[in-house]
This record gives sequence, C-alpha cells and structure tokens, in this order.
Amino acid sequence: MHGQRLRCIIAFICLLLAVGLGYLVPLAGSVALDHAIATAPTLEHAKIPVREISPLLATVLAALGGAENLRAKLWLAVVAMTGLSIFAGAFSYLKGWLSSLASDGIARDLKDRLYNHLNHLPARYHDRANSGDLVQRCTSDIEIIRQFFAMQIMEIGNALILLLTVLPLMLLLNPWMTLISFLTIPPLLVYSYTHFRNVRRIFKSIEETEGVLTGIVQENLTGIRVVRAFARQDFETRRFEVPNAEFRDKSLRMNFLMARYWSICDGVCTGQRGLTLLCGVWWVAHGTLSLGELFAFAAYLVIMLAPVRGMGRVLSDLGKTTIALARIGEVLAQPVEADDAPRSTGSQTGSDGQTPASPATTRSNAPTAAPPVHGDAGLETGGTRAGTHLVVRDLRFTHQGMMRPALEGINFEAAPGETIAIIGPSGAGKSTLMHLLLRLYDYNGPGDTGSIRINERELSTIPRKEVRATTGVVMQEPFLYAKTLRDNLRLGRYDAPQHELENAARDACIHESITGFDHGYDTLIGERGITLSGGQRQRMAIARALVKKPPLLLLDDALSAVDSETEALIIRALRRRHGNATTLVIAHRLSTLAHADRVLVLEHGRIVQTGTCAELESREGLYRRLWQLQSNIESELHETSFAA
Amino acid sequence: MPPPAAISHQEDEFRANLDAGLWIKVFKRALRVRNYLLLLLFAAIVTSLIESSLVFLIRWAIDGAVEHGTAAPFALYAAAFATYSLAFGTSVWFFIRISGNLAHRLAHDIRLEGFQRLQELEFSYYDTHPIGWLISRLTSDCDRLARIIAWGTRNIAADFFYVVIVSFALLWMNWQLGLIVIAALPPFAVISIWFQRRMLRSARDVRRYNSQIIANYSESIQGVRTTKTLVREQQNLTEFQGLTGRMFAASVLNARQNAFYFPIVTTLGAFASGLALWRGGYLVFTDALSLGTLVAFVQFAGHFFHPLNDIARMLAEMQAAQAAGERVMGLLATEPKIKDSAEVETRIKNEKLKIKNESEADAVAAVAPDGHSARIGAVEFRNVTFHYETGPDVLTDFNLTVRTGQTIALVGASGGGKSTIVSLVCRFYEPTSGAILVDGLDYRERSLLWFQSQLGIVLQTPHLFQGSVRDNIRYGRLNATDAQVEDAARLVNAHPFIMQLEHGYDTAVGENGNRLSTGQKQLVSFARALLADPQIFVMDEATSSIDTETEQLIQRGLETVLRGRISFVIAHRLSTVRTADCILVINKGRIEESGTHAELLAKRGHYYELYTSQFRRELEAEVLERDLAC
Repeated sequence: MHGQRLRCIIAFICLLLAVGLGYLVPLAGSVALDHAIATAPTLEHAKIPVREISPLLATVLAALGGAENLRAKLWLAVVAMTGLSIFAGAFSYLKGWLSSLASDGIARDLKDRLYNHLNHLPARYHDRANSGDLVQRCTSDIEIIRQFFAMQIMEIGNALILLLTVLPLMLLLNPWMTLISFLTIPPLLVYSYTHFRNVRRIFKSIEETEGVLTGIVQENLTGIRVVRAFARQDFETRRFEVPNAEFRDKSLRMNFLMARYWSICDGVCTGQRGLTLLCGVWWVAHGTLSLGELFAFAAYLVIMLAPVRGMGRVLSDLGKTTIALARIGEVLAQPVEADDAPRSTGSQTGSDGQTPASPATTRSNAPTAAPPVHGDAGLETGGTRAGTHLVVRDLRFTHQGMMRPALEGINFEAAPGETIAIIGPSGAGKSTLMHLLLRLYDYNGPGDTGSIRINERELSTIPRKEVRATTGVVMQEPFLYAKTLRDNLRLGRYDAPQHELENAARDACIHESITGFDHGYDTLIGERGITLSGGQRQRMAIARALVKKPPLLLLDDALSAVDSETEALIIRALRRRHGNATTLVIAHRLSTLAHADRVLVLEHGRIVQTGTCAELESREGLYRRLWQLQSNIESELHETSFAA
Repeated sequence: MPPPAAISHQEDEFRANLDAGLWIKVFKRALRVRNYLLLLLFAAIVTSLIESSLVFLIRWAIDGAVEHGTAAPFALYAAAFATYSLAFGTSVWFFIRISGNLAHRLAHDIRLEGFQRLQELEFSYYDTHPIGWLISRLTSDCDRLARIIAWGTRNIAADFFYVVIVSFALLWMNWQLGLIVIAALPPFAVISIWFQRRMLRSARDVRRYNSQIIANYSESIQGVRTTKTLVREQQNLTEFQGLTGRMFAASVLNARQNAFYFPIVTTLGAFASGLALWRGGYLVFTDALSLGTLVAFVQFAGHFFHPLNDIARMLAEMQAAQAAGERVMGLLATEPKIKDSAEVETRIKNEKLKIKNESEADAVAAVAPDGHSARIGAVEFRNVTFHYETGPDVLTDFNLTVRTGQTIALVGASGGGKSTIVSLVCRFYEPTSGAILVDGLDYRERSLLWFQSQLGIVLQTPHLFQGSVRDNIRYGRLNATDAQVEDAARLVNAHPFIMQLEHGYDTAVGENGNRLSTGQKQLVSFARALLADPQIFVMDEATSSIDTETEQLIQRGLETVLRGRISFVIAHRLSTVRTADCILVINKGRIEESGTHAELLAKRGHYYELYTSQFRRELEAEVLERDLAC
C-alpha cells in the first residue's frame, strides 16, 4: 500500500491544478465581461457604476493591451476559456489515471496478499472457517475499500481544495457575499450525514429481505418436483408473494428517503443560489459589487454546492471502509503455517501462540521455501525403486478442542515399497493419520506424544513443502481445479511428458473416458466445461498422484465411488507398480484389501489388529466379519439357484 | 438423468445495436403499472421546464437591477426565487417518488409473473436452465430492467426536454448566438456515443474478471488441502496474480476513459461559453443584446452538455441491459409445453359448473375435475419412446402395465433410464411417441393438476422446505389437523425421532432440511406423502448414509406407504428389492429382465451380476457401520 502513496500525492497535486485551473475558466469570462464588455462606451447609459479594479488584474489587463484592445480582440476570451479548460482537463485526466492506479493497485495488492495468506493458513483454520464469509471479505470488502480510495478520497480532497482555494478567492472578492453564499451549507451537511446513516440502516434491511426472497426462489426451484408432486403451485406463489411485496415496500421506503433528501437538497441549493444572486443584484444596484463579480460568485457557488451534496455519502462510506479494513485485517492476522520446523517438537508456540509472520515476508519467502523438490526428489527415490521407510512410534494425537485423542498408541512400520491397508469404522482416526503424515496437522499440541520418522528423519523437522512434495495423496472426495484435464494431471509435476500422463491415466482407468470427451486431454472441468462423476474424479485424482511418482502414496478410500470391475483393474495396475512407492490404503472393501501386504484394523483411534489377510481371516474381528459376509452371499446364491 | 445442458455463462453479451422492438415491448409492460409511466413523463417535463426557467429568472433579476438600479422590485425577486425553490424541490420530490414507484412496482410484478410462469413450466425447461441462472433472472435482471425503465425514462425524457427547451430559449433570445452554441451539439453527440460504448466494454471486462476472481477464491478455499498436498501455493499465486493483473489493467483503462471523457464535456462547455461571450460581446457593443441576456447565454452554454452526457450514458446502458431484458422477457413469453389441452380445459370448466348446480358432495368425490373417474386402477406404458430435448433415445418402445397394489422395483446401471421412466409416470415429461394410459385413457386427456396431485414422491435426496417438521408434513395436505399430521408420522415410524427433537413437531428443519439426517428427512417425506394419500407412489431410494437402525424404520414405514397403491421404486437397497412384486432390470432404455428376486437370481443373468457386485458393497458398508455402533 505504501507504494501507492506517491501516486496518491501526485494525484492530489493534479487534482489541485485541475480544480484551480477549472475556477479560472469562469474568472476569465468574468474579467472579459467586466472590463471589456461592461465598460464599453455604448453601455454608458446603463446605471451600473464602474468600480475600481484590483491592481493585479490591472497589470494583467495592461499586459493584454488594456480594456480597449481587449474589446477589439474579444476572441481572446474564447482562447483563454478553452485553453484553461483544456489544461484543467489534462490535469483532471492525470488525476483520474493516477488515482485509479493507486486505488486499483491497493485492491490488487490486497487480493494477492489475501489469496496467498489463505493458501498458507493451516488446515486447522480452514476446518472452522466459513468459506462464503471468507470470499466476501476477499471481494466485497476489498471493493468497498477500492471505491473509497478511488472516489471518496478524491472527493474529500476536492472539498478541501475547494475550501482552501475558492473560499479565500471569494473572501477576497467580497466577504459579505461569501458569508451569504455559505449560509445554508452547514445545516445541509448535517442533514446529509444523518440521511446517509438512515439509508445504511434501511439498505441492510432491504438486503435481508432480498436474501429471504432469493432463498424462497431457490428452495422452490430445487424442490420443484415436490411442489409439482403435491400440486402446490398456488401455495408456493402465495408464499413467494410475502417477501416479494415486502421487498417492494422496503424499496419504496428507501425511495421515500431519497426523494425527501434530494428534494430538500435541491430546493435548498436552488434557494441558496437565489439568495446569493438576489443579494448580489442588490449590491450591484447599490454599486458595491461589479456585475462580473456577481457572475463569478454565481459560478463558484454552483461548483461549491456539488461536493456539499456528496459529503454525506463520503462520511457514511468512511464508516463502511473502516469496517471492511478491520474484517480483512482479521484474516491477515491469522498465523500461517510455520514453514520451518519448530526447534523443539513439544513447543506450543510453534503453532498456536506464534506471532503471525508478516504476509509480506511470507510471500517473499514462498519461492525460496518451495524448493524444486517435486520432480527431483520423486525421481531420485523413484529411481531406486524403493519408496519411503516409515516408522510410527507411540503416536498420540488430539484434535484441537476435543477431549478424547483421535489417535492413541499407534505403532507400526512400513518398509520401503510395502503396501499397508487400514480398515476401520468411520471416525476411527484413519483420515487423521493420513493428515498427520502430510503435516496438515502437527502432533505437537498439549498431550500429543510419539514420533513419525520418514527415512530416519523426524517428520516435524522436515519442511512441510518437502513432506508434501514427496507424498502422493488421493482423498475420498478429491478436488479438481477448473482447468483442463491435462493441467489437472500435471499439477503434481509440471514437466511430466504427455506419455507419462497417459500411462498414469491408463493405470487409473481414466484414459478411455478422457479420450471419449470432445477435446480429450484439453477438456475443461468445472462450470464452463464438463462435470465428472464421483468415480471419474477419484480416478483422475489417482492418475494425478501417479504422475507425481511419489515415494509415499496415501489412498484415503480413493475407490469408494468406482465400480467393482474398474476397481479390480486399478488395483491390478497398482500391483504392477508395486515396490515403486510405499503405499497406505484406507479401504472399506475386501477386494481393495486383498492386494495389501499387511492390514491394520483401527478402532477408536487404536490399532486393534495387524497381520496379513490370511492371518486376519483366522482371527475373530472386523476383517473376519467382512470376510464371512462374502461367503454368506455366496451361500445364498447357491441356495436360490438350488431352489429354482 | 437428463444430459447436462451447455449454458453460456456470459452474462452481458454486447449488442452492437439497440433493439428497439425489445424496448418497446418492455415499455408496453411498464404501461400496465397503473399510470406511472405517463405520470413520470409528465413529471420529467415539468421538472425540466422548472430547471430551465432558472436562467430566465436570473436574467430578469439582473436586467432589472441594471435598468432600474436601487429602484428594482427586490421583494418581488425574493418572492419569485422562494417560490421557484419550493416548486423545484416539490417537482424533484414527485419525480423521484414516481420513478421509484414505477421501478419497484414493475420489478415486483415482473418477478411475480416470472415466478408463476416457473411454476407452470415443464421440467425439460429446468434441464436446460440451471437454478442459479433462473434465480438471477428473477432477482438482478428484474431489478435492472425496472431501474432502466424508471430512470431511463427520467434521463431520456427530462434531459431531452431540457435540451429542447434550452435550445428554443437560446434561439429565441438571440438566434445567431443560439446557433453558435447548438452547432457544438452534433460533434458532441458523436464523441459521447463513441466514448460511452468503450467505457461500457471495459466496465464489462472488469466485471468479468471480478467474477473469475471470486470463482478463484472459492476454488482455492475449497481446495486448500489439495493445494497444500500438491505444493501448489506458489504456482496458484502466480496464476491468481495474472488474473488480478488483468483486472487491474481493465479497471485502469476504464478509469482513464472516464477521466478523458469528462474533461471533453467540460471543455466543450467552456468553448461554447467563450464563443457566446465573444459574439455576444460584439452584439452588446452594438446594443443588439442586453447584458443580462449575455450572462444568461454564457451560463447556459456551460451547462448545456451535461444533460446530453446523461442521455448518451443512458443509451449505452440500455444497450448493456438488453441481454437482461431479453432473458426476462423470454422467460415471461415461454409457454409451458406440458399443460392441459384446450379440450381438457373446457371439460374442467363444464365440470365446475356442474358442481355448482348439483351440490352433491358425495357424487363429486368419485369424479376428477376433468369429469373422468377419480380412481386410478392401472397405469400402462404403451410403446413409449422418449428422448430429452437433446440427445439420443433414452427409452425405446417401452411397454409396462402396473395395477393398484403392485410395487415395481427398477434396478440397473445409472443412465439406463430408470429415472426417466419415473419422470414420465409423473408427467414431468411426456413421451416422444407412444402413450401412457391411466385406466385406458391417455393421461394427456386428463387434468394435469389433478393427476399430479395424485402422486406421492420421495426422492433420493428428500427435499424439505425451511420451516418446522409439522409444516413439512402438512405440505402433503394443507388442511390436515395436527392430529392427522402426527398420525401420518406414526404410521411411517417418524414419530419417535420427531419427539426426540428439541421442539418436537415444531423443530425447524433448517435450509433444505439440513438439520435432519438424510434418513430422518426421508421419514418426514414419507409422512408427507402418506398424508397426501396418493394413488401413485414414486420413490427414488437413497444409496447410502442411512444407519441400519433407520434403515429398518424406513422399511417398516415404506410398507405402510406402499399398501393399496401403484408404486414405482428405483431401488438400491436390497430389502426393497426383495419385497417388490416385480423387479425390472433396466438397461439402455429397455427391460432386460423381469421377475421376483428368487426368479431373477436363479436366472444368473444381469440381476445376478448386479446383486453380487452392487449389493455386496452395501452389506460390507453395513458391517463397518454396525461395528461403529457397538
């Protein structure tokens, strides 16, 4: 924002020049009227006494060859007025340009900063945040601030400059006329301030009603089948009519306020002009004021009244802007994920009490903190065909604000290239374990114990970005960006060649779906493109993870929306890749479990069973019950075919 | 499922020319709002008359002072100015009130009419018009259109009259001087239109980038975990900065255009004043012009161009709002494709008369409003072929007869046509060829409203309206007593869980019923359907997210609901499939297999395959859930 200060200052100077030059335009006309036209010998019969002219004007007039010469060259007035207006216009243009550069620059900086900050806030923050509210802070609130800087600041500047330039000029010309010209302005200012405060209140209530109205339409349209099924069209129309009428009436109430404000404002302003003119005419008739001065006063008054009418809005916008700034400040004050590992694992300041790194420094750190690990690390470890060596010891983790630990006494080891399946009812802590491995959460809160070691390094000492760059993950409800399919696949590794994308897509059984789309790999996903089914999204996410070639692969119920046949194909492909990566699979289906080297059964945050599939089949427990189910079905099928 | 429609999200297509026909249509509609439009025109003329007469007032006062000196009638001047201010203020008041009344009442009426139209339109309209799109037609587009009508009339009428009056006044005061000032008009008009169009275009760019930025924000917030796990923070920021950079450039361009345009208006004004001063000065020397007239002239010339500027802006805005106008008028002009035929309508009318004459309530109950029997004994698909507006046939030559008391379970892969069959039964769509018969009579010969009020529908994602549980159940029969509502809830086993809610039947269900679980919502919608006492019952079962206990509750509730009705169930749950009278395996718009559970299993065909893959998965999930429960 500080970079915009210079622009603001220059814009102010331009504004000053534009306004100043702008006022010289009527002055030029006034001089011409007074000293060239009104003094013409032909007008001697008029009863206007000729007044003494100020010494400054006299010099200017003399330089121009005196009144006599001016009369002969009246076109000079055209040149002067037009020329001054062009100069004023040029500065006004510069002012408009610069103030837009400043205000839009401020808005852009704020948007970028917020965007970056949001991406760096910890997952914990996003768990609780209301996304609609966040988006509003990032857009509408910034827009309020931008508008204030673009318009109202200049409006305030304009009013100030007017007050500082025109007022002395008017006072110099005639103090009494000035006093009379400003008679109604202070009460008008007070009135307009109270008016805009009222408007804000009503505006809020109109917006609420509009929200209700939109809500009813939305509800009606999403439930249109229910409406039709019960033939409730008339009932719905009556229901809609209530807020619809209320919205109209509140809008009319607002209209009433506006009509009152503008009629009073316009009436008073016109009255003020009449008052000034009348007093002026009186003094002109008594010879204490020149006609040119009256002309100038009339013109200045029109200029002065414009900002007076807008000042109420400025003040009320100022209030809105301070609120918007505070709301944005709240978000920016949230501490971001610490990029460097905390020195001591147990220190609480590492995540909670830590003072927020200033967004500016975070931003400048970001490029250096994101080492080009994606490709290199993946290739390096992928090249050895080993995968990560993962050791979890005595892990205990509690979610913030929860009493019971989500994970407790977790002990297991995954050898490089091993595939471990995790089963358990929902809420058992499976996903939490995945999130910890990704450092989306840290196991350093109060009561958290244990260690996670990746290739002999303690996880909490490895920079987050490095951890994530070397881990591939597929969530149950994967998120795809509104980009092309190709770009989505490349997210994990930007330089992946096309044939690798296709191989990964084939392994994830999504290649054929992709080539079936009109634009193949260049098909856009999202609002402006195609909508993928849940299964297709999961397969895309698997392919995306495979493209990345990570030494550690986490699949969080990644095949839940995929049909059984495709699932078998994908599992077969993953088996072929077996050994390239250490793989952790959360699964709900026996078929997915079958290809794992070992199975962990997780219940209430604890590992209750471990072993190979064969071992678990023979022991009482969750796995065995699943396994029995299958044989039950088979026997039922057997019976029915027997009966028929 | 209908194919997703390709909808242009371009909200503001730019039209090269003003479509006069559209605006005439829009203004004709505005005429219906009492006489506001005419009043507004009148107010506009009066206001501009008053506004323009100020100059004469000023001239009168100055000339009086110049001529009579201190003897001028100052009290009269004062009275005149006071009256003038009062008149001006009053005219502004009326003017704003009238245009506000016009705008808000018109918006209200258009909204209401649009909403009613949406209640009548067939579902294929909804397939091609997403809900979000329709909502903005009824909200922002309506407001924008109404505002343009009200303020457009104001600007164009008032400013136009102002300019005309002032032009006449100038010519009348002194035609030579007047012509000089008026000569500046044509170039000004050209410049204005040129600039206004460009400003509109850049303003639209700004809006477009802004909505992209909003979309980007919500994407980044929703996908923040993915961003983190893919270490995309830096890359995302770079892309986002590209977007904010483009918005910045567009905003600055728009500001520069504005900053360039307005000085032109002012300079033209100064130039015209200067010219008037120059020529007028000579005329004063020759005594052909009074000094007061010259002052009036110079002032006038300076303020002549701002109203013109308003007109130019208004025309440009109308051009921009044209798309909104077309969409709203288009919605109002869309005729529902599925509605009662003229013949049915006359029959309904006759029947109404008959009821009035006979007043035998018992005899009437057995007769539907269209004069046919009110009982439905059988529904038959006869050679039905159907395709959605775009796309291939979903159903080909489909035949099926269902009688009262029968439950038909539809199973099969998604996209096979199950939902289509159900939508056709409900007459949400009509067959492309062939017919659906109700007791031997094509259902297109029956009253649409009556037929649909005989349906009970429970959807996969049961839709509840905001309000209490009681309100939602009562939606099935609006005049049901509290006792009847509770009886219906008891019958479907919803009563126990409702009583456990915080306020029992008066508990608010929240937006879309979100405060209830899916299973609970389904029970409430069962009760709602039961209260309506439908003759045809349609159900699209939920696949998951119901625990075993609720599952059993639903199963028992379902049996009550299905008794004595014609039922179509798109079945996912084993329990429903097993108890159905007939299972149809639907694939590619045809019946591949039909029969009872045992018969089909024995066949070892498609049903067998489905059963072993799809249903087993559910059982596995159930085992896990049961484990969680204990």
